[in-house]
Amino acid sequence: MTMSFSAPLVKIKSLHKSYGPHIQVLKGLDIEMKPGERVVVIGPSGGGKSTLLRVMMGLEKIDSGSISFAGKPYISSEAADKKTVIDTEVRRSIGMVFQHYTLFPHLNVIQNLILAPCKVRGENKASATKRAQALLERFGLGAKASAYPAQLSGGQKQRVAIARALMLDPKLMLFDEVTSALDPELVAEVEQVILQLAAQDMPMMIVTHDMWFAKNIASRVIFCAGGVVVEDGPPEQVLGSPKEERTRDFIERVFHIRH
Amino acid sequence: MGYSFDFRSVSFGPLWEGLIVTLQLTVAANIIGVVLGFPLALLIMSRFAPIRLPAMLFVEFFRCTPAIVQIVWFFYCVPMLFNVFLGSMTMGILALGLNLMAFNAEAYRAAIQAVPREQLDAGIALGLNPLQRTLYIVLPTAVRASIPVLLTNGIGIFQQSALVAIVAVQDLMYQAKTLATETYRPIETFTIVALVYFAVSFPVSQIVGYLERRRQLMMS
Repeated sequence: MTMSFSAPLVKIKSLHKSYGPHIQVLKGLDIEMKPGERVVVIGPSGGGKSTLLRVMMGLEKIDSGSISFAGKPYISSEAADKKTVIDTEVRRSIGMVFQHYTLFPHLNVIQNLILAPCKVRGENKASATKRAQALLERFGLGAKASAYPAQLSGGQKQRVAIARALMLDPKLMLFDEVTSALDPELVAEVEQVILQLAAQDMPMMIVTHDMWFAKNIASRVIFCAGGVVVEDGPPEQVLGSPKEERTRDFIERVFHIRH
Repeated sequence: MGYSFDFRSVSFGPLWEGLIVTLQLTVAANIIGVVLGFPLALLIMSRFAPIRLPAMLFVEFFRCTPAIVQIVWFFYCVPMLFNVFLGSMTMGILALGLNLMAFNAEAYRAAIQAVPREQLDAGIALGLNPLQRTLYIVLPTAVRASIPVLLTNGIGIFQQSALVAIVAVQDLMYQAKTLATETYRPIETFTIVALVYFAVSFPVSQIVGYLERRRQLMMS
């Protein structure tokens, strides 16, 4: 048997986050994520799942704790002054897709895709457009390059949003309930695109309520409740035969599964 | 009811000249209002009170006093207090332009604040810095969103410009009053003048309606 050692891709250390003086959302979260892992985070609403992803993207301030990416700390806060320090250079390795369509309504699909590469990385327009077109073809959206967001279905919008994030060559993708706002018949096309990324070993952290999707994409499942990690393990264990009472209750309630 | 209408005595020459002046007032005031309203909106949203409060005072002054009072104040008080009088046309443009600037600033502010939080989150996630987010996300979205209100305010100034007639700017209303007095035909004169104001305003209000319907479609 060979020992395989790999340094963590993401290391989250005792993350604390509260909204105002009374609402503590994250109460000392510790997670280590290895390269190539696809972590699905499940748990009751208000349990801190989305907040975790938002914090990792640098969209929320934290009270204390730190997060490092590929060995480089990029988000930290000292309890004393509660000032969140974010290394935007490191953060650029991370891409995120949100629940609500966040395409820029005044830009067409191609313009949405090339805005950040051109403005943030200084890529020239021709090369960015070429990459964008190739990405759209791959996602079955080649014909929609010059369409505006308002002319797309919800599923198409989310696929464009994923392509837009990929334009910056992220080393980690965060998906925050990306199918929750979609009509049921549009969920599959978005999940297919994410599965396609998974097949190419893109590391990802996913918040979802879709049991089928969680089972099919996860290499690891974390059950998060009350601001802490309650259970953490392979999908067969956490979704199939959870050890913790709270996990079992949640899975029975939300996914209507009896153990 | 023995009144017999007689439109022949209403001469269109002076009315035409007046309309030109009215349109000049409107266009000039709109240039001031549309261009300077935006930076004013940024000032009233400043986190820094010494910048925000004077800007808010400016806006509230124009919003909370009648336009006719502003115009009269501008024509009589400004020259006496500050010893400047720049000619009645210029003063008229300034009075109307500053008024419109205050109202447009409010329109811009509402539109900027209506840019969804998620749009900005997406901008951060894509690595855009605060200036880039303002330039490429907030500004284009907000300007587009405020166009119907800017048009409504702009056409409002076209109508309010009639008030400058009382301080001897020779606009459409001024010419109408003169003509009505000279010809003893106020009913005919003011009917025609009302129709002229209507003929200019109505298409614009139709455009506003169209833009708002299209916008609702875009946002759905």
